[in-house]
Amino acid sequence: MIGRCLAGVLLGFPLAAVMLRLFLRVLPNDGADWVIPALIAFFPLWMAWMIGAFAFRNAVRAWATLGGANAAAFLMLWLTHHAG
Amino acid sequence: MKAATLRTFQTVHTWTGLLAGFALFVAFYAGALTVFHDAIAAWQNPPWRTARDADVPISTLIERLVAEHPQAKDDFGIILPSDAAHAAYAYWQDDHGTRFATYSEMAKPSDEANRGNLADFVYELHDSLGIPVVGLYLMGIVSVLYGLALISGFLIHLPHLVSDLFAMRVSHNLKRLWQDAHNAIGVLSLPFHIIFAVTGSLLCLFTITLAALNTVAFDGKLYDAFAQAVTTAPSLPVSHTTAPMLPPETLIAQAQQAATTGGVSSFEPDYLHYMHYGDRNAVAEVRGLSQHTLGTYGTVALLAMDGKALSTHVGTRHTINGITNSAMYGLHFGTFGGNFVKWLYFVLGLAGAFLFYSGNLLWIESRRKRRHVDQPTRTRVMARATIGVCIGTCLGISGAFAAALVTSHLGTDSEIAQRVACYGLFLAACMYACVRPIPRATVELLAATSVLTITVVCADLIGNASALLNTASPQSFAVLGVDLTGIVLGLIFALLARATARRARQGDPRSVWALASTS
Repeated sequence: MIGRCLAGVLLGFPLAAVMLRLFLRVLPNDGADWVIPALIAFFPLWMAWMIGAFAFRNAVRAWATLGGANAAAFLMLWLTHHAG
Repeated sequence: MKAATLRTFQTVHTWTGLLAGFALFVAFYAGALTVFHDAIAAWQNPPWRTARDADVPISTLIERLVAEHPQAKDDFGIILPSDAAHAAYAYWQDDHGTRFATYSEMAKPSDEANRGNLADFVYELHDSLGIPVVGLYLMGIVSVLYGLALISGFLIHLPHLVSDLFAMRVSHNLKRLWQDAHNAIGVLSLPFHIIFAVTGSLLCLFTITLAALNTVAFDGKLYDAFAQAVTTAPSLPVSHTTAPMLPPETLIAQAQQAATTGGVSSFEPDYLHYMHYGDRNAVAEVRGLSQHTLGTYGTVALLAMDGKALSTHVGTRHTINGITNSAMYGLHFGTFGGNFVKWLYFVLGLAGAFLFYSGNLLWIESRRKRRHVDQPTRTRVMARATIGVCIGTCLGISGAFAAALVTSHLGTDSEIAQRVACYGLFLAACMYACVRPIPRATVELLAATSVLTITVVCADLIGNASALLNTASPQSFAVLGVDLTGIVLGLIFALLARATARRARQGDPRSVWALASTS
């Protein structure tokens, strides 16, 4: 229980942050017109990941899946940054 | 959903609810009152008791500000009064931080606005439990836990949503009745609770969240992007040429005119902000509240020299950032639909407080040993904590109202008196709940809250009777409204005391709430 909770809190935070950054990046002008909606969306997204972490069978799966999702999201952020 | 997953969500719901429940009760009870912030301010300082400096024109206030504190010229704000009986005050930054002053306080400005304002004190309880700095972050964490409790509660309820929603099984099984009431209120007011979980988290944790997101994902560019997103006035370069400024009253009238082009039917200015006052390029920004729109707060920026509108962010003329920012405040504070929405928020706020109270009762009932007179210690501790904190909060807030009433008649400072009365009564209630038999403590604390609440509002009604009969203004109706609402709340506390007493005598003798099992 504690392991899944920590996975959701600690890995859900950067995952939600990077997802929003990617969302803003695909919009014109680097998403300047959508900064406030993105900030508002941050907490529901983080909460969704925290709750989602409890749906995994055990802590190892939660850490592995959310860790993998973080790695993929950061990689995409890095690629979009260097692509344009 | 698998049974094991459902059980996990049940555990998450219980623990997040228990961890956050007490703080949320305070936030919701004080928050329901905060919906009528301006009415409570009018109750403390009614329109027939004219405040010092109320007759000072805003232009005179500004002239004295720039004469005595010339460094403020670059950037200062004027908080406009809600009625003619109260004074406008200025605020600006100097070497000591933010300073506040009305006209007569200009030589000795304060570092706090509206010292001793009861409405602001209730708001402080709502957003930070009255604890400086740390309280706000604590309530932010509580809001996140609240969001988790909501989602998990909804997921648990989802499989039986339609069949159970309107089931109110009134029978001898009290636990099931509480469960049905808890579920129905939780699901029916879900959109309202989602709004608070999201906006509450953001409003309380904004500073640290912005800093964290800026570092984690935005390469240090988020601060600039955010500043750009919320800027409503163009930044004009200082011309270094002095120019006469239009009177603030004229600028406000021009702003109202410009606001109506944004498709709103009303625009009530509450704040005026100047940049580079006295310069030819000085900008004045007027913020106002419009009704019947989600983007309730809007601003109009004008050239302070001639009143030319530079930008209008009102109604349909908001940007996407502006409308969502304004909507966030509107949705949190219920400012978007006139009095109907305010009353709706008030009722839903009280229902929210009930949701956390009933959640604790359910926890107690679920762990009750049905065949034992002697209940487990944890059940008794939770019962004592629940009545101490929840009823103690209601008693403490009524105490703050009493202190405000007494000090306003004595003409003394209400700041300390309000805090002492509120926290003192709260702590006294908690201690009382710890030492007295549980059912007796519950009934007596509810009765005390009822008596105090009704006494305060009756004393206020009697003291202001002639003024209320002779003054017909929205502000005097607000005072009357606060008193009448107080009477209704006092009667509700009395009814709850009577129901609890009946339960203590006639209910299941093996419950912690029964007189037979007093411990």
